[in-house]
Amino acid sequence: MVEITLKGITKRFGNFLALDNINLKINDREFMALLGPSGSGKSTLLYTIAGIYRPTRGRIYFDDRDVTDIPPKDRNVGLVFQNWALYPHMTVFENIAFPLELRKVPRDEIERKVREVAKMLHIENLLHRYPWQLSGGQQQRVAIARALVKEPDVLLLDEPLSNLDTLLRLEVRAELKRLQKELGITAVYVTHDQAEALAMADRIAVIKEGKILQVGTPNEVYYKPKYKFVGWFLGNPPMNFVEAEVEGDYLRVYSSRIPVPSHYREIIEKLGIKEVILGFRPHDAQIVKGVGDGLLGEVYSFEPLGREQIVTISLDGVFIKVFAPEEESFTFGEKVTVEIREDRIILFDKEKEVALEYLYKD
Amino acid sequence: MKDIEIRSERFQWIVILALLLASLPLILGYTLLILSSFSKEMVTNLDLTSFHFTLENWLYLLQGKLAITGGIRVDIWRIVFNTLLVALGVALVVTLVSTMAGYSLSRIDFKGRKHMMILLLILHAFPGVALIVGVYLLYLLTVPQGQGLDVLRLYSFFYVILARAALEIPMSVWLMKGFFDTVPWEFEWSGIIDGASRIEVWWKIMLPLVKPGILAVALFAFLAGWQDIIYVRTFLIDQTLATFIEANIEAEYSHMPLIAAAGTLYLLPTIVFFIVAQEILLQSYSGGIKG
Amino acid sequence: MNRMGREKIKDLSFFLFPMILMILFFYIIPLVMTVYTSFTPLRNWNVERYLFEFVGLYNYERLLYMFQHDPTFKAVILTTVVFLGITLVINVLGGLVLALATFFINERIASGFRLLWLLPRMSPIAVYSLVWYYFFHGSEIGTLNSILMKLGVISQPIPWGQIIPWGAWSILIFVNGLVGVSFGMIVFTSALNQIPRELIIAARVDGASTWDISRKILIPLMRWHILYVLTWQFLSLLTTFHHIFLLVQWNLINRDYGTTLALYVFNTAFGRGEQDQGLAAAAAVILSIVGIIGGYLTLKLLKFEKMMKKPRGDF
Repeated sequence: MVEITLKGITKRFGNFLALDNINLKINDREFMALLGPSGSGKSTLLYTIAGIYRPTRGRIYFDDRDVTDIPPKDRNVGLVFQNWALYPHMTVFENIAFPLELRKVPRDEIERKVREVAKMLHIENLLHRYPWQLSGGQQQRVAIARALVKEPDVLLLDEPLSNLDTLLRLEVRAELKRLQKELGITAVYVTHDQAEALAMADRIAVIKEGKILQVGTPNEVYYKPKYKFVGWFLGNPPMNFVEAEVEGDYLRVYSSRIPVPSHYREIIEKLGIKEVILGFRPHDAQIVKGVGDGLLGEVYSFEPLGREQIVTISLDGVFIKVFAPEEESFTFGEKVTVEIREDRIILFDKEKEVALEYLYKD
Repeated sequence: MKDIEIRSERFQWIVILALLLASLPLILGYTLLILSSFSKEMVTNLDLTSFHFTLENWLYLLQGKLAITGGIRVDIWRIVFNTLLVALGVALVVTLVSTMAGYSLSRIDFKGRKHMMILLLILHAFPGVALIVGVYLLYLLTVPQGQGLDVLRLYSFFYVILARAALEIPMSVWLMKGFFDTVPWEFEWSGIIDGASRIEVWWKIMLPLVKPGILAVALFAFLAGWQDIIYVRTFLIDQTLATFIEANIEAEYSHMPLIAAAGTLYLLPTIVFFIVAQEILLQSYSGGIKG
Repeated sequence: MNRMGREKIKDLSFFLFPMILMILFFYIIPLVMTVYTSFTPLRNWNVERYLFEFVGLYNYERLLYMFQHDPTFKAVILTTVVFLGITLVINVLGGLVLALATFFINERIASGFRLLWLLPRMSPIAVYSLVWYYFFHGSEIGTLNSILMKLGVISQPIPWGQIIPWGAWSILIFVNGLVGVSFGMIVFTSALNQIPRELIIAARVDGASTWDISRKILIPLMRWHILYVLTWQFLSLLTTFHHIFLLVQWNLINRDYGTTLALYVFNTAFGRGEQDQGLAAAAAVILSIVGIIGGYLTLKLLKFEKMMKKPRGDF
């Protein structure tokens, strides 16, 4: 079990900058998710930790050991691929035994270890089958078993659930999280699915265009996004953003006016900023019929989701989405007021798209 | 069906008929040759009255009796064996070289890789036959001196196999590289992370994954060795079916239908491969041209 | 050099060694030897006597002189040019027609035809030659003669291959054309199969005829492949002679007007009677230069380099 430290990792492919000065510490026994859209560099980062890619600049440490120049096989990592990469010409047993055979482990010990890990993943009755005879979920277990059988210090997972159907994904998600904690293994998990990251990870690193935007617990990145992008990328539906102008103690949002949230008063004063972007999550506001104190708009559309419904509201032509209880009924074009929970409001700088408090701290 | 169903039946039959007509000389040529091998006289004149069924040609051929009368004998089985030896040798050399080189060109980045691939493409575009004067000179300079005939014969087998295989190398390496290219990188990476060396990855993971490709390359190389005449007649001391036919077509003693039988015998493996491996043949032929 | 670098060099030398050896021994060294031989008076493979005599550009001067004055050599050059030009056109057009025709018909019948047309390429060369030897034979056993006689077009058998120049040229072009056509057919068929079906369906729905679809959609989409077949076949026709060799040897085709430059090189070096390797080498060098330049231009023209993807990973 190790702690992983990435210091100033930069990776170029020709002229393309895939990773831009990544600094990250992954604690021992931690479940770290690397979350980002496709092409953000999150997989490249994972493969750099594995040793498949060598960083153009920067160092990688496992505990105090510098592994930057150490070939993949000597890093003792287990990797689960998106397509699982099970060798089609080998049985499940041979697949799982393969890493041990390469290490010249004695035959009876291989047998024992394979059975052990197979039992843990509930695939002990599949050992004689070939990968193509297995369902997606079973193949995935085999891939995890193969990664775990050599008792790696680090478990690396590259979108391992994306080839499974939705229901199965939810099931495996819970199981994987439990397994990681039971084994107490350091895990790095690459995903583009924000729900997956929120549900499973101890901490999430949000990556975009080769840069880490924010690292934090699921709660931190969800409720305190450092960047507008983070707020937009996490949550479904994403955070609402509306442009606002500072007018003394108030924020003007199109034709409406709301007070500046108390936790931003000092910051706005210090920064002397005029134009901001106001962000809030769809469930951090409520809809009041008629004209009141808050953002004034009219109902554009509403989509019942069972327990609740998503109401799309037009604020002078700009759309926001707000959750409402299922029993409330709306009509198209109805005038409403959106009241936002003041303590959940995030204000971003309009140019840099950074939350104001970070601008202030810098 | 690559086109949708609204094209007319009639149009289809017109196309098929036109194709059949265009293929007529081809069909006719091969059929008449095979038919003649079962006849007392050649039937290439399209006169079916001269067709008298007999297995005599085949019997005589397989006994090595070249002429109906007289005592001209050849060891036909030895000749078939020689042909097979060259073909198998070429297939073996080509398969080995191309699976090794194809893997490294597909999977390993190194300085000069691009130049090597360009060189291969140029060699592929430029058949090595033009260099046969130099290849023969090298043969003369390397042939073991002062040895018995058996050594010379053995050396000529060795040399003809390598020289003929060399002709197939650029194309086969390129083809093999294409097959390796289709294997997802994750298989390779998985092996590397599990502790395999590149050689182990190649042998234990990649080769089983590209089996159809290996089969295709081996098949093409075999047929190339099997069909060859120029290299065989230039380098090989022993006779193969090709040089056997070449030598006997105009010989006064030779019985024409018997030569037709020899030709049909020679054609047999090609036909067998056609039937067994038509999918591989049609698909992989185009595989070599993709980048 | 770090550990990963050393291992990579070890792996590379293992994987590439056999290929490099083969290329060295059967391409590079023979090329050097051919060039060298072209500066010697080597004849009848009398290596001891002639190989170390140096005659400068004498063989090239002889070629130039023959080109101007020797009727046989002039016939060879003319034959090469005519043969190359016409066969090339036939190969490309024939391949295109075959690919399109088999594209529009029932798949099973289509692959039957494709296999049939692959037969010339895959057959043993001696058998293929045998087939046409009988087909074009100058006596009444020749299939062509007997057909024409039955139809009453001719009254007695004609030795087609001895009619110069066009009789000999026609057989030459026919025999090689059949071999070359399959290459174009296969390349074009695979190109056609890669064209999204939706394009064809959409055109059909819009009421386009098969001819329109071929001309306005399929052929323009195959431009790269047509260029590829054109250049590749040019080089291969320039330097191969397998399928002509026996027909000339067996006197089915006239020796002068059935011999292309590549065959001329071979016969000059290995033929019956007086052999002149110095001269053959000089002609081979000229062929090689055309081949190498042609190959290089082909690469540039077809932008092969852009298709070369770099391997991934840094281990």
